Amino acid sequence: MSLSSPAARSVDSPVVVDRGDGVAMRARGLSLGFGSTAVLADLDLDIHRGTITALIGPTGSGKTTFLRSLNRMNDKVAKHWHRGDVLLDGSNIYSPGVQLMALRRRVGMLFQRPNPFPMSIAENVLAGVKAHGIAGKQHYRAIVEARLREVGLWEAVSSRLGSSPFNLSGGQQQLLCLARALATGPEVLLLDEPTSSLDPITTEHVEALLRSLAPALTIVIVTHNLAQARRVSNRTAFFYQGRLVELTDTTKLFESPEHPETANYVSGRMG
Amino acid sequence: MTLTTADQVPPADPLPATRAALASHGRTGFMQEKLPRLVTSLAAFVPMAALLAIVGVLAWKALPALGYNGIGFLWHTAWRPGNAYANPVRTGGVLHPVGASYGALPLVAGTLESSVIAVAVAVPVSVGAALLVVEKLPRRLSSTVGLFLEVLAGIPSVVFGLWGALTFGPFIARDVAPFVAGHMPDVPVLNFFRGNVGYGEGLLTSGLVLAVMIIPIVAATARDLLRQVPRLPKEGALALGMSDWEVARKVSLPWARAGIIGASVLGLARALGETMAVAMVSGAVLGTVPTNLYLPMSTIAATIVSQLDGAFTDGTGYAVRTLAEFALLLAVITLLTNIAARVLVRRVAGTALPIGRGV
Ligand SMILES: Nc1ncnc2c1ncn2[C@@H]1O[C@H](COP(=O)(O)OP(=O)(O)OP(=O)(O)O)[C@@H](O)[C@H]1O
Ligand SMILES: [Mg+2]
Repeated sequence: MSLSSPAARSVDSPVVVDRGDGVAMRARGLSLGFGSTAVLADLDLDIHRGTITALIGPTGSGKTTFLRSLNRMNDKVAKHWHRGDVLLDGSNIYSPGVQLMALRRRVGMLFQRPNPFPMSIAENVLAGVKAHGIAGKQHYRAIVEARLREVGLWEAVSSRLGSSPFNLSGGQQQLLCLARALATGPEVLLLDEPTSSLDPITTEHVEALLRSLAPALTIVIVTHNLAQARRVSNRTAFFYQGRLVELTDTTKLFESPEHPETANYVSGRMG
Repeated sequence: MTLTTADQVPPADPLPATRAALASHGRTGFMQEKLPRLVTSLAAFVPMAALLAIVGVLAWKALPALGYNGIGFLWHTAWRPGNAYANPVRTGGVLHPVGASYGALPLVAGTLESSVIAVAVAVPVSVGAALLVVEKLPRRLSSTVGLFLEVLAGIPSVVFGLWGALTFGPFIARDVAPFVAGHMPDVPVLNFFRGNVGYGEGLLTSGLVLAVMIIPIVAATARDLLRQVPRLPKEGALALGMSDWEVARKVSLPWARAGIIGASVLGLARALGETMAVAMVSGAVLGTVPTNLYLPMSTIAATIVSQLDGAFTDGTGYAVRTLAEFALLLAVITLLTNIAARVLVRRVAGTALPIGRGV
């Protein structure tokens, strides 16, 4: 599927086409900033297909900014600029002909804080499905149920699908937003501290869900919870002051990091 | 006042002493507490008293006319002041000129039709402009637009009236209306848009001039409301791959919907009661219900102001009493639209808004 011509695709079985090199997304010499401040400096980074990549680093190190550059959410920010490329399946998402809407259908995002839309719970799940015309009306009910079951929210909301999402708890709202993001069948899912408003048990459930999604879905997760990074991710990237210090297998990064800065951070002496 | 400190005489029970000290501290004095409370409750009472007084006086004035005109007043179309030179007669205890008869239907229709046209034109324009200002225009440009809105809101209605009568009305009649009238199919409802377009004084011009007058109210409120829509759900919608227009339609507008409806009703109330501008562009035709968009007509408010002088020449006082009845009718119409709006706002606000959920 190319960026410029979004083809219809089944929601329930996202097909992952392996381009051979196993890289879903790649940043090449990416620098990015707002006005006179540079936030990211000359980043080179690969996101492997079908794996979970964790982004860790101290506050203000540019994790969110980098994550948002993967689906071009920084574009609207005042005085935003960038240099370098971000590739999705080998083609630059910043090149002129790219359709933002098609890009964001392929690269979904879950924010740090829940952000339901002012419409019913079911409509929330279907928002992206309808916007992209992914499925016909007759499939709506099935999609809503499947996605809500997937995130473990079905039992709690099945009796009030038509009511407002704002009466759900914060954690439930976040799960709803996850269901909404999954419903469009993205290839890459970006998560910015997705479990910071969830209790430990729900967090565990979400982590298990992410692990089960991973082979079909490429996941990038920003987290301040180092234990979470260790639990869910295959590879971990350590950001420090807008630079990528190290990106390697999670076990290696936590147990024998190459850079002293990484070692300091993962052992709790910094950050 | 004496202060008891701990190292002087330690009281057996410190609490009563503290209470006494507090009580004697003068917070219950007349100047500090009672007077402000009295003044504020009086101030709160003033608008209510004013409303009751106005409606009461109107009703008192109108009462004899109410009796003579009867309930049929609401659907009659006549506008006959009667014979001023013959001796007045008395019907059911009400003195009136021979042959005098008034019906409200044309004016009620004119008032509602022109106001509905105004709102139907002003609300989409205002909301569109507000979306543009909030979501698209750079900061500097949007504050310039805001300045224009404020200036527009401050222009006296007589200026709008003059502009409507001299420039805008003729322009509509010459360059816009013939095209619309010529291309509308002759079927029910749509044939309201057909007919002789006249010279620019009438229903359409009144409605459009009213629209221009209420756009600043609705647009400024819609802009403020849309500015308050939080960034997060809008970003969420963008991240889901929605277009700017879809974000506006699915997130921003629903978020601001209740307030925009409220503002539209304020605009409607303004249009219902607008007097001078309409009096200048309506064509001031009494006694017929406008059956197409271009016919001259009048509204309740405009008629009251244009007919008051003449009404005073009716020695029986019946004409003035009838105008008071019209004023009462206008007050009732305005009240009903307000109530309807409240119900509507509660209905639409109930569906989705995150009121009082701090997540
Ligand atoms: N819109 C913006 N305008 C100016 N500077 C910004 C903007 N957004 C982010 N920054 C700056 O970019 C730097 C990185 O911010 P970012 O949000 O990416 O950090 P982070 O690693 O996600 O931090 P945290 O862990 O606290 O979420 C910060 O210094 C921040 O002040
Ligand atoms: Mg962040």
